[in-house]
Amino acid sequence: MNNPTTPAAIELRQVTKTYRDAKALDEVSLRLEGNRIYGLLGRNGAGKTTLMSVLTGQGFQTSGEALVFGQRPYENDGVLSRICFIRESQKYPDDFNARQAFKSASLFFKQWDQAFADQLVEEFQLPLNRRIKKLSRGQLSAVGVIIGLASRAEITFFDEPYLGLDAVARQIFYDRLVEDFAAHPRTIILSSHLIDEVANLLEHVVLIDRGRIIMDDDAEAIRGTAVTVAGNASAVQSFAAGREVLHRESLGSLASWTVEGRMTNAERAEAAELGLELAPVSLQQLVVRKTMAATDAVVDTDSELEVLK
Amino acid sequence: MNRVVNVARMQLINKWTFLGIPAIIMVSAFLITLAIWAMIPASGETFYSGASQAVMWYFMALGIQSLTLTFPFSQAMSVSRRTFYIGTVGLFATVALVISVLYYLLGLVEVATNGWGFNGQLYALDWIANEHAVVQILFYFIAMVALFMIGFWFATIYKRWQATGMLLTWIAIAVVLIGLLGLTSWQGWWPLVGQWFVAQTPLSVSAWAALFCAVLAGGSYLTLRRATP
Amino acid sequence: MIDDSRPIFLQIAELIENDIVDGALAEESQVPSTNEFAAFYRINPATAAKGVNRLVDDGILYKKRGIGMFVAAGARSRLLAQRRDDFFREYVQPMTREARKLGISTAQLTEMLHRTESTSDMTEGSVSR
Repeated sequence: MNNPTTPAAIELRQVTKTYRDAKALDEVSLRLEGNRIYGLLGRNGAGKTTLMSVLTGQGFQTSGEALVFGQRPYENDGVLSRICFIRESQKYPDDFNARQAFKSASLFFKQWDQAFADQLVEEFQLPLNRRIKKLSRGQLSAVGVIIGLASRAEITFFDEPYLGLDAVARQIFYDRLVEDFAAHPRTIILSSHLIDEVANLLEHVVLIDRGRIIMDDDAEAIRGTAVTVAGNASAVQSFAAGREVLHRESLGSLASWTVEGRMTNAERAEAAELGLELAPVSLQQLVVRKTMAATDAVVDTDSELEVLK
Repeated sequence: MNRVVNVARMQLINKWTFLGIPAIIMVSAFLITLAIWAMIPASGETFYSGASQAVMWYFMALGIQSLTLTFPFSQAMSVSRRTFYIGTVGLFATVALVISVLYYLLGLVEVATNGWGFNGQLYALDWIANEHAVVQILFYFIAMVALFMIGFWFATIYKRWQATGMLLTWIAIAVVLIGLLGLTSWQGWWPLVGQWFVAQTPLSVSAWAALFCAVLAGGSYLTLRRATP
Repeated sequence: MIDDSRPIFLQIAELIENDIVDGALAEESQVPSTNEFAAFYRINPATAAKGVNRLVDDGILYKKRGIGMFVAAGARSRLLAQRRDDFFREYVQPMTREARKLGISTAQLTEMLHRTESTSDMTEGSVSR
């Protein structure tokens, strides 16, 4: 699958999308190999949905090139038929019920598994014969999740798929996703801001902020790349010397800093000697810290520009 | 090609939208018309009714819905805009053709039964009833397609440019019409225009309408190509 | 179970090793498939596979084509030997170093160890941390 002659499942080259007054995507370049579960993380409005729209030919980039299986997806039925993208605010025909939506999906997705869809309907307790526009927000999300999972499309995008879903329903979604992915490997792009819930499911993480990719790495490589050091402020400071500090918090003489870097045993011992406590940083915390650090950087350059004027 | 057919099948998943509701409208319009005729005392004059148009206006609404709701859904089904367009318009044209033939046949029945026994005119309108069968069917067909296209195209405009786009379009249409009227008055062309209208036959009207449809079809396709769900 | 301090694949490998060491997974018995591990721990299947493959590379597990993964003969004793080495490095050496600092002689240290053995009310948890 990954030999050099096969094009990447997804490739973006300097893709920019400008809305009237804002850049939703800012020269994004990205290459994603097939058959993995990707997390597309970022704040609301960071550009996640725009990115997925461009990749599915539903939206248009202002400049740059988006390729799926090495081809442009726009108006390309050959490529599109291998993709599934249900929007977070997906619209359905007014008179459709869930059963009819699934029937449609079975017409267009070659790998559609009706038995799997039926099983999911039961687990999500989705009323099949009620009109979709009369469903609750959670039930509406369930319709999208079921289409996304049962379509078994080679690339499936889930755009904040859990809105309105309760904790039990979300767990069902994650469990079925892992199981079905294991049985039918394919490319899954999961856009989410409930990072803690999905962190362990992801093989690779793409973090986007203000239309720019600020992290693009394997989840395993990221895990444990930062620690929170807490203790006496001066001890924390000396321990953190020479390290990238992502976040600083202090309370009186106590400080709690988040620093980048994987701790060796010797460093752990050093911390213990200084009376410092080391705590792991979850993916979610890391994403929050990285995003905030990026924001600060932008603010800093902005204010420097202000000064220059 | 297969996906084009599937778009038509998707539109037919809910049987009511394209088949059930038009059938109900046609049957009820017919029955209500007969009921009204039965209540009015016969005076020997011919009754006219425009009830056969009712279903055509429904098609305009259908054109709007196809775009505002079915199009975004078709995008989620990974259907290209072109495939969606061909499938939807193709299905609609088929339905319109069937109804047109039905109208022609009902017209024959109407004439044979002396206007359903009331000396009424519902399908075999004076103006076109004497034309060749093909012309009659073509006339109905083009009229229905034109209304569907109008609904579809306006919905595309709304989809892409929202209320502002709608407003600007209407203003543009009004400006063009007023301009034409003004030009006609200024140049003293009214008699010519009058003659032209009198000279029109169902066939020539169909031809003009077909031209209009072609422009709308091209326009709505080009607008749709850049529409986002 | 799974925490954020280290890569998950290492944690999965360790969990399997623990089961082998304490006898829950006997030698020559079949271990769950990577997909079963993934589903059970709710982790990415590729990550689970990476953890399992690490043990295959180390010769702790071996693959039977078309059947699955099994615990290798001698795996338990090898793991135990490895853990004893680790124990010496991670617990005994720091302890003796600290003891020297505090002026505790080897004889005193040995005596202390005998004392803990006789009280033997120490739980596993308090030993590890």
